[in-house]
Amino acid sequence: MSGARAGTVSDVALRPWPAPTKETLDRVALFNQVHQLTTERGHLRFVTEKTLQEEIDAGKDASEDVMEGVEQEDQKPAPTKQERLQEVARAQHDMFTKVEWATFYANNTLDLIALLLSKDPAKMVDKSFSQQFKEQQIPRGSFGLDKGNAPKIVGVEQAVAEIQAAEDNKRRMAGRGSTMKALDWSTEKLLEATEQVKTEARKEAAYWEEILSISQKGWSIQRSRKDARHAPYAVRYGFPEASQHFKSRGFAPLRMDKDGSIILDPALALQPKTLRVRISENRKIVGTSTLPTQVILSGSPFERSIQLAKDSLFEEELYHEITLESRQLLAAGVELRDSVINVLVPDLSGSSMQQEILIDCIPREENASNTENTPQTWLAHNVAEALRILLAHEHHLRLFRRSQIPPTLTQAKRPPSHPPLLRTLIATFRHLHAVDSLQRHLDLVVKILDSAGLKASTKTIRESSWNSLAKIIKESRRSDMSPVDQLLGFFTKPLDGLATLTLPSSHGAHFEQLTITTRTYIGHPTFGSEHKVALPPSLISSLNLSPDQKREFKFISVEEVKSYLDWIISLDLSHVLLSKEYGNRASIVDQGPKVIIVSKPGKKKAKKTVEIKLENGRLTISAGTTDPLTNDKSAVEQEFTWNGSKESSSFKDKIKSFVG
Amino acid sequence: MHELLLFGQIPRSRHEQVLKILAGVAAMQPRRVLERHIVYKPLREPEEPGAHLRRGGTQNVTSKNIKQAAAKDLYFTQLVQQLSEEDFDVSNAQGSSLTTASDSGAEAKWAYEFRDIPDTGDRGVLVRLTNSTDIMGGDPHAYVLNLGNQFVSEYYLEGHRFVHENVVILLFRILHEPGVRSLETSPRDTLPSFASLQPLDPSSAYILEAKIRVQDLNNPAVLDAGVDELKRFKTQMRGCVEISVPDRLLLDTRVKWKPKTSVQPPARPVQAGVR
Repeated sequence: MSGARAGTVSDVALRPWPAPTKETLDRVALFNQVHQLTTERGHLRFVTEKTLQEEIDAGKDASEDVMEGVEQEDQKPAPTKQERLQEVARAQHDMFTKVEWATFYANNTLDLIALLLSKDPAKMVDKSFSQQFKEQQIPRGSFGLDKGNAPKIVGVEQAVAEIQAAEDNKRRMAGRGSTMKALDWSTEKLLEATEQVKTEARKEAAYWEEILSISQKGWSIQRSRKDARHAPYAVRYGFPEASQHFKSRGFAPLRMDKDGSIILDPALALQPKTLRVRISENRKIVGTSTLPTQVILSGSPFERSIQLAKDSLFEEELYHEITLESRQLLAAGVELRDSVINVLVPDLSGSSMQQEILIDCIPREENASNTENTPQTWLAHNVAEALRILLAHEHHLRLFRRSQIPPTLTQAKRPPSHPPLLRTLIATFRHLHAVDSLQRHLDLVVKILDSAGLKASTKTIRESSWNSLAKIIKESRRSDMSPVDQLLGFFTKPLDGLATLTLPSSHGAHFEQLTITTRTYIGHPTFGSEHKVALPPSLISSLNLSPDQKREFKFISVEEVKSYLDWIISLDLSHVLLSKEYGNRASIVDQGPKVIIVSKPGKKKAKKTVEIKLENGRLTISAGTTDPLTNDKSAVEQEFTWNGSKESSSFKDKIKSFVG
Repeated sequence: MHELLLFGQIPRSRHEQVLKILAGVAAMQPRRVLERHIVYKPLREPEEPGAHLRRGGTQNVTSKNIKQAAAKDLYFTQLVQQLSEEDFDVSNAQGSSLTTASDSGAEAKWAYEFRDIPDTGDRGVLVRLTNSTDIMGGDPHAYVLNLGNQFVSEYYLEGHRFVHENVVILLFRILHEPGVRSLETSPRDTLPSFASLQPLDPSSAYILEAKIRVQDLNNPAVLDAGVDELKRFKTQMRGCVEISVPDRLLLDTRVKWKPKTSVQPPARPVQAGVR
């Protein structure tokens, strides 16, 4: 056995690492070389001739082996070959011995373990036994192993205990030291923490105080999202029923700054805006709305900015809605120029001039400066207030509509509704203008007829529901709607005015009345004011209408109604009143307000044509002997005009004197 | 019209809380709902299920190929009257409460309602067909009797209504007049005082009904949108009210067929719900 092993050992080459045999390295070897050099000297880039020269000069990498070698050479003379051989032989022998021993021990160990394991019949250990062991014929499993206490050695314990004590002592000291240190540290930290808690508490107190004061002013405070740091609460100042865009803007987180006061949110720091309404006549501004009644804003600057932001939000929404609405109202005289909405409305003071309402949204400060008092300031102010009230009304209505049982789901999408702000404004202006100018005209007519000794009376109701608001609201069954909203509802629905005129031909208790209803709605079907004149039955025959024809005529403008009324009244005077007065002596000539009256029998037979004209506030009667067939105007003999001033002669007397 | 429905239950103690939570969810104040329901059933007795299959042969040659129509189901129907607290005030009662003032402007106080048994399909919500006829004037009770119905009983519904987008949320409980009302043969002419009504459920628990009304089921997109919205509401209310789909047979409005005691029991086993 040993021979074989020794053989293998003797093959061990005890010579230095073979030097490369070839001068030219092949590819792999070259890479290895490069790699080795890189690890030794760093990147090739830094290995230049210069650096190498420097290194050599500095003697840096000068091998120590060389030095050792030199020393050895100094100390020992070079060994002779004999000595060298002996040394090698000795080393070989030593090595053999050691290897022999190692083999021996290893075999013994292997045998021992195999013997131990051989107790277990399942283990196949036969092959592990060495040859010598097998020859000894030791029975399997004859060797056991057990655990036991190590034998006590007297004296060692003592020493160990002493060492232990010393160790413990050392540890205790170290422990005490570190405890002291830790205590110092924790004291420091605690003091630090106290300080921190103090400032935190001050901060929190300040924060909460501000929140409380905001909350006490009635602003709704709500928790913000969980992930929003430093802003556990937020204030909601927007209107709950505002349209989507403005609803999301009405919300500002309340952040805490270093001192605990609340940081102004960018949403609140925006420049507050306000709606400005100006009245323009002939391109001259005659009225400007001022800010809504300035309440002295109290409270902290933060509360003030919330208030301002809320106001601004409302005004901006108002402007936004009006702008949207103005797009549909081009036909009604609404234009958007340079973000100023121009609304053309009739002048309410009665002149035929048209006023323009200019609506825009400007920064609040700008408006505040303008406080000059111009003649139409009241109007501008009222228009602005009306628009604001209408938007607030719309907010209420949105909640109301939302709370109703929704219609069934269908494919048809409900289009978003736009509140009638401008429409209501324009409708009111137009309606008032229409009704008022009609009333003025009717009053004038009555006055003229009165001066001519004819009885006529007129009565005008501007809007039928405005007259009995309290009664209508009281009797209303819509208990789920507040009275204010019901009240405003009367303005957003079509406006109905009613004017009546009793005709001069009526007598006794039987009134013949003209009824003029004025209906104004900016939308289908009228798109403005519409007058409907209903005729009394007595005029039907005069107009040659068939009895079943509708006695109603529609007019779009007041001028048309005026001229029609004038015509109807002169017709009534000529055809009805004079016919009644003169019986069969009077005969109607044609469709116009002309009547031929034959003079009284007994006198000279004469035919007089009496023409009655009511126009431009004058009642004119003219009489002539014209031949009605030729209709020659030149032959007017007598003429008389009433223009409303008190005249001595009455209409009937004059006719009598004309006719004779 | 069809209704998509989900239900939840709330004990009396949590009623106030849930009311407030719902007010927050729907962003509106609750609306008081007081209703009187009068239940009717058809005069005709329902036919025995499957009876039409056992009919004898017909001599009519032409009708050979015509399938024998299944027996029509008969349903309970009800009259619903919208009430307010003042209506229960006895001192204020004038005349019969059963007649309807034919005021053209007023909203209909009475409605005649039919509710079908919910559909069998499983969409995660109950779907049922309903029909409601507003009665604007006259005597609703006489009208319904003339339609071939007989009075069964009446009860009152008290609660609050919310509207959350398209979901109509009704938080209610059923009240009834304790005592011998079940023996009556016609609805009461005058309303009892509100205090005398007692909850049908002695624990006085409230029921939460979430409902979306859909015009017709033929459009799957609309139906899905409705179902989704209702389910969204269900998830939103998780942790507050557990809303679930009840067994559809609990909302069965069909009149049950009872075998007459004098007649021999049918030879065949009765098939339930031949439709």
